[in-house]
Amino acid sequence: MKMTMTNFERAQAALANEKVDHLTSYPIACGVCRKLVGDGKMTYRDWANDPEKFASAFIAGQKHFGFDFAIGLMDLSVMAGDLGAHVRMDDQNTPFVDGHIVNSMEDYDKFTVPDITKGRTNVLIKGTEKIAKNLNGKVVTSAFVEGPLLALSQSAGAERLFMDMFSDPAPIHRALKVMTAYDSEIIKAMGKTGINAICWDYLWGNYACLGDAEYGEFEGDKYAPQLNKEVLENGMAMAVHNCADLPHLNTQIKKFKPSIYSMAYYPQIEGSPSATKTIEGGYADHCLVAGQIDPQVFMRSTVEQVTNITRDLCQEVKTALCKRGLKSSYCIASGCEVPPSLECKMENIKAVVDATAKYGQMQY
Amino acid sequence: MATKQEIFERLANSVTTYKRTDAITTAQESLSMKIDPVESINEGLVKGMSVVGDKYAAHQIYLPQVLTAASAMYGALDILLPMIPKAELKDAKTAATVVVEGDVHDIGKNIVKTMLTAGGFVVTDLGKDVAPETIADTIQKNKIGILAMSTLMTPTMDNMKKTVDQLKECGARGNCTITIGGPPTSPTFAKEIGADHRDLNAQDCVRWLKEGA
Repeated sequence: MKMTMTNFERAQAALANEKVDHLTSYPIACGVCRKLVGDGKMTYRDWANDPEKFASAFIAGQKHFGFDFAIGLMDLSVMAGDLGAHVRMDDQNTPFVDGHIVNSMEDYDKFTVPDITKGRTNVLIKGTEKIAKNLNGKVVTSAFVEGPLLALSQSAGAERLFMDMFSDPAPIHRALKVMTAYDSEIIKAMGKTGINAICWDYLWGNYACLGDAEYGEFEGDKYAPQLNKEVLENGMAMAVHNCADLPHLNTQIKKFKPSIYSMAYYPQIEGSPSATKTIEGGYADHCLVAGQIDPQVFMRSTVEQVTNITRDLCQEVKTALCKRGLKSSYCIASGCEVPPSLECKMENIKAVVDATAKYGQMQY
Repeated sequence: MATKQEIFERLANSVTTYKRTDAITTAQESLSMKIDPVESINEGLVKGMSVVGDKYAAHQIYLPQVLTAASAMYGALDILLPMIPKAELKDAKTAATVVVEGDVHDIGKNIVKTMLTAGGFVVTDLGKDVAPETIADTIQKNKIGILAMSTLMTPTMDNMKKTVDQLKECGARGNCTITIGGPPTSPTFAKEIGADHRDLNAQDCVRWLKEGA
């Protein structure tokens, strides 16, 4: 092992659970990095509609902070928007769906795969291509794509979808087949961009919302495994992000076998898995687990507080990895996206990276 | 002809077995039998929804079932509530549920609304993406005693503070207990913005309002 590794060397080593100089770090800073581009006044709307601007934030973020990864998350309304749902685009807020397109059971049969060479899906694909072109070899790069159940819930409205899943599942399955076909098209296109991986957002694999039976039926047993396989067949690694409070770790890590699993921790919620519990449970044995700094600290804490939080997490992770006989398979990351608002403190992002380099040093 | 007790049991069962049509027809039958709608709600629907809430808290059932049970309960409530004389509700605790301005994610808020209703509160649902001024105005004009606010997104958290400030400005804060919820919120944030409590979940919200507030 080299005394000092490059970001890419460290990320690669951690993915293989090999020795590293220090733990990897990746505060999931995506939209917020638009503040590092040009005069710092780029709107969220511009960022989320222009491949060049989208990619420029990740490139600037890597240069400024020295991350070990780059995961091209735009927002969770890309697919729903291109499927016909209305997306609200505020200047400085994450775009979100404010007009669903399922108003009856018949509407589930009206979905068709949109043309991915148009719309924001195309922005995402072209932007991801630019991320790959500029950051491959410097960091491990990944696209970020909504899973089929998330894309459908964003289009139909989660409440309606959940009730319809229970009362009349057949039309839901027909719609999920379309979502899966849409995701398949995205996989093929992403495979041509040169990006290293695809990170799925499989948000609904979450015991606060769905049990094993429901999640299995509507994503975990059929649609997700097919898509996971297609990612590998298209030459990319597969990752999963799930920032929910009670994730289905057995399904999403032990069954899906992602290379990276990004997750959050909610200490007040009973059963929410801490870093120690996650490592003890064997979930980092064959997967780089990433987590679990509370994204709110980037808005509301001081550099000193963030440094201390990162230091404590590094210590916890190092102890748990050591006890488990693991070398590096945990990335110090935010449990969810770093808040992209203008008030987010960029110095706190830097504090996580710096504190990980200092307190995450490994002695073998 | 069914007895009163049988009607209550059928109302409870319609909720626990997720049958909205049964809930509606039984509610209509209870009125034709001249059963006090308050009793039908408390002895039937609320009991059924409490069973559902407990099962959800124990991870025995999940959101699809809870939402379908809630739909059954609301089907019956739509029939029973208009039949209650206003004087009978004067002592009931009043609450408002809302998702703050800039956010449309209301599934958590709707669960809170359901559990509050099942807990005997008279709930005014203000909906989603609601401006602080509108919330404060409604609380003040209707003398609502509890405000349950939620947001899923970080950028809209500050609209919770704006709402609290607006309530202070219009003089309604002192008479209103404020509880907040949503993944980005925390007890520290609740304290910081001048709210009284941060809910872990819908059950925690109702429990705190009944026992701790």
